[in-house]
Amino acid sequence: MLAPAAAVFAVLFVAPFAFLFVVSFWRVKTFKLRPDFTFDNYADTFTKYLEPLVFTMAIGFAIATLTTALAFAFAYVIRFKAGRHGNALLVVTLVTLFGGYLVKIYAWKTILGTEGILNSALLALGLVREPLTIFIYNPGAVVVTLTHFLLPLAVLPIYGSLRGVRDITLEAARDLGARPARVFLDVVLPQCLPGVTAAFAFCFLIAAGDYVTPRYVGGPYTSMIGNFIEGQFSLKFDWPSGAAMAFTMLGACLACVAVSRALLGLARPR
Amino acid sequence: MAADAKRPDGGRTPLVQLRGLTKSFGPVVAVRPLDLDIYAGDFFALLGPSGCGKTTLLRMIGGFTEPSGGTIAIDGVDVTRLGPEKRPTNMVFQGYGLFPHMTVRQNIGYGLRLARVAVAERAGRVERIMDLVRIAELAERRPDALSGGQAQRVALARALVMEPRVLLLDEPLAALDLKLRKQMQEELRRIHRQIGGTFVFVTHDQGEAMGLANRIAVMEAGSCVQEGGPEEIYRQPKTRFVSSFIGEANVLAGERRAGVVTLGAGAGFAEAGADGTVSVVVRPEDVRLDPGADAEIRLDGRLEDVVFLGPYTRYRVVLDSGEEVVVHAGDAAGQAVGERVAVGWRRDRQRLVQGS
Amino acid sequence: MTAVSNALWRAFGALVVALMLTPLALVVLFSFTDNALTNFPIERFSTRWFRTLFERAEFWKAFGNSLTIAGSVAVISSVVGTLAALALARLGERLANAALVTLCFPVMLPALVIGIALLVFFNKTGVPFSLATVILGHLVITQPFVILIVYARMVGFDYAAVDSARDLGASPWVAFWTVTFPMVSTTVIGAALIAMAISLDDFIITFFTIGGGNTLPTYIWGKVRTYLDPSINAIGTILLALTIASTVLALRLSRYRG
Repeated sequence: MLAPAAAVFAVLFVAPFAFLFVVSFWRVKTFKLRPDFTFDNYADTFTKYLEPLVFTMAIGFAIATLTTALAFAFAYVIRFKAGRHGNALLVVTLVTLFGGYLVKIYAWKTILGTEGILNSALLALGLVREPLTIFIYNPGAVVVTLTHFLLPLAVLPIYGSLRGVRDITLEAARDLGARPARVFLDVVLPQCLPGVTAAFAFCFLIAAGDYVTPRYVGGPYTSMIGNFIEGQFSLKFDWPSGAAMAFTMLGACLACVAVSRALLGLARPR
Repeated sequence: MAADAKRPDGGRTPLVQLRGLTKSFGPVVAVRPLDLDIYAGDFFALLGPSGCGKTTLLRMIGGFTEPSGGTIAIDGVDVTRLGPEKRPTNMVFQGYGLFPHMTVRQNIGYGLRLARVAVAERAGRVERIMDLVRIAELAERRPDALSGGQAQRVALARALVMEPRVLLLDEPLAALDLKLRKQMQEELRRIHRQIGGTFVFVTHDQGEAMGLANRIAVMEAGSCVQEGGPEEIYRQPKTRFVSSFIGEANVLAGERRAGVVTLGAGAGFAEAGADGTVSVVVRPEDVRLDPGADAEIRLDGRLEDVVFLGPYTRYRVVLDSGEEVVVHAGDAAGQAVGERVAVGWRRDRQRLVQGS
Repeated sequence: MTAVSNALWRAFGALVVALMLTPLALVVLFSFTDNALTNFPIERFSTRWFRTLFERAEFWKAFGNSLTIAGSVAVISSVVGTLAALALARLGERLANAALVTLCFPVMLPALVIGIALLVFFNKTGVPFSLATVILGHLVITQPFVILIVYARMVGFDYAAVDSARDLGASPWVAFWTVTFPMVSTTVIGAALIAMAISLDDFIITFFTIGGGNTLPTYIWGKVRTYLDPSINAIGTILLALTIASTVLALRLSRYRG
């Protein structure tokens, strides 16, 4: 019974992925793919696209950190503070999870734009005299948009792990002399660390691999590595380079996530 | 019986004093105004059916539930408004509440760490308590690798290592199977004997209360209906509820008029008291089949059922009034099911309680 | 002290909910105005942009494509995913978890990477790009959700009911259709609706695997790139209505909560 799902996974995911990896070592001659075994594409990635790669990792880190922090606080509210409203908050989260990737980006473009909703509201309220241009076409707009998009995705795994924290363990800690802050650090946080780590990794990979958001709201100087990868496929037709860039990006993401995780482990209170 | 069944000398002040303690959850009253004294060295049981408020009471002593009214004093200090972390009590939770991300040793050492006990002393105390409850070999395990009985011991050690003035246990043996429960009962008695201290536990199992405690408070619908030693509660139940909740009891309806009690089943005897309906309570082991001359109360009926149970035989007799009397007798008397029989008992073996 | 801090926590919760919903609400709000630009002040409420949209044949084509793809994806991924979840539920917990993590791997990756991998793969294996390739592409990311949702239901499943059916004379096949399936069917339908929502909403994989033609998201993409046409608000509203309606229905049916 597992066979159909395994077939979908193998044929439509593993095979294309493996093939893309092979292609990343090929080269292109006169717009034709030539099988080869060269590391030139990877070398090119590091020489020509190092700057966007580093920028992407930096902005990915910022987005993942911000989103995870917000999501944690929100999941904490759902689990411990919202009482019977918790379920409603969870439903809102789930509903916005599957609704409107492109619509959300478009919404932020219309909100943050020079002639957008925010500026028109500020003008109407008399708070500014000229429309402000600081809202859009900068990395900040990308951070805001992607944080908004990723928030529900990050809330769910964190909430899932907070749900596993039994109230009785919190009471036991208090009984043994822990004040509320201690209970949080010693009992709540360690128990939900797997969920937090998963949410962070998830946000980091999705944010770093996005190209639609920077294209829409990032402006010409906020190109992320995803924009260049997409360009190799839709404009330049240099698939090997694009593939090498994609795998370099994934590798860099995994490295960043691993380092973040190690840092979190070090910072964890004893 | 666990420890000395006698009341500690009356002149001492109680270690735990509950005065007018009540708790309501919205319109639901969980604990009605209640006074209770627990003395140092007691192994004290709060016994009652589920929903009688016993766990709420225990949680109020521990500081997990804020009382709606009344006061709690421990060692003469009012702790009513203190959080659990500031009380000299520690709790063994039902379901244990072990920290899943810590080893057994870390679980047990957690409270001492918070109390800033020096590392060397902490290690020594943790080691000693693990020896006491016999879990030394589990020190490096995580809670999810423990059996129910082992988790129970860790939870006990984690609370005991704090050397609480009062150790609270919420249904400590409920999750264990029968054999393990018996074994843990013995363990708890041994530990209480070895370290002294004051244990208060909640249970719905009268056998557990009798087997562990030297004092028992029987609770019903948020009130403490009787408090005393196990034998006192068994021999002299104050209400019909207490008599039927503790052990097996025959309860027969009767009526008192001008100091004479007449049972619905026939017999009568003189006993002073207020007029009205009364119940006569008598334990099955105190009832005789074909009673001798010393039995002041005698009733007739038909033998309905006989079951041989090893140490004794259980007879069920349906009286002519339709009421049932159960008799436990050591020797098989030879009567056959369906035969007419007489039952009887001595008056000093029965208890008379007001009401039906 | 605790009252104040609890009030602050609740205020924070409300703020986050507002943050999550406001952008979407604004899109819906402006889709029902007469404004030529998406900004304040709102001059008049109207259905002008919906009417404009409904007159365009290309919109109806994209709408039809979206429904075809999402419907097919929902059916295929719910069948495939349910079978897998039932099989996993019979495995030991450790093995099942390992399989779940593996099968859910595609969801962890940026859609861009899956999109380009499929583009290269279909191109090199000579599969012509069409709605069918889009459907195949979507299966990769919807299947994990179906498996997760149905598997979560199976964790508390009472196998004694199935055994009873066998005991009373049902063949495995009959037991499945008369006992197992009726017990999990609402969850399966919920999972299918979630798959549908994901498929309707996907832009990136669609973009790389569709070849020609549009779905609602690629239609929006084409319009946003060229100029800001307020009818995008109307398309967005329709897309949101479809995805949110199927998600809400799915949550009701499956009682799934993450």
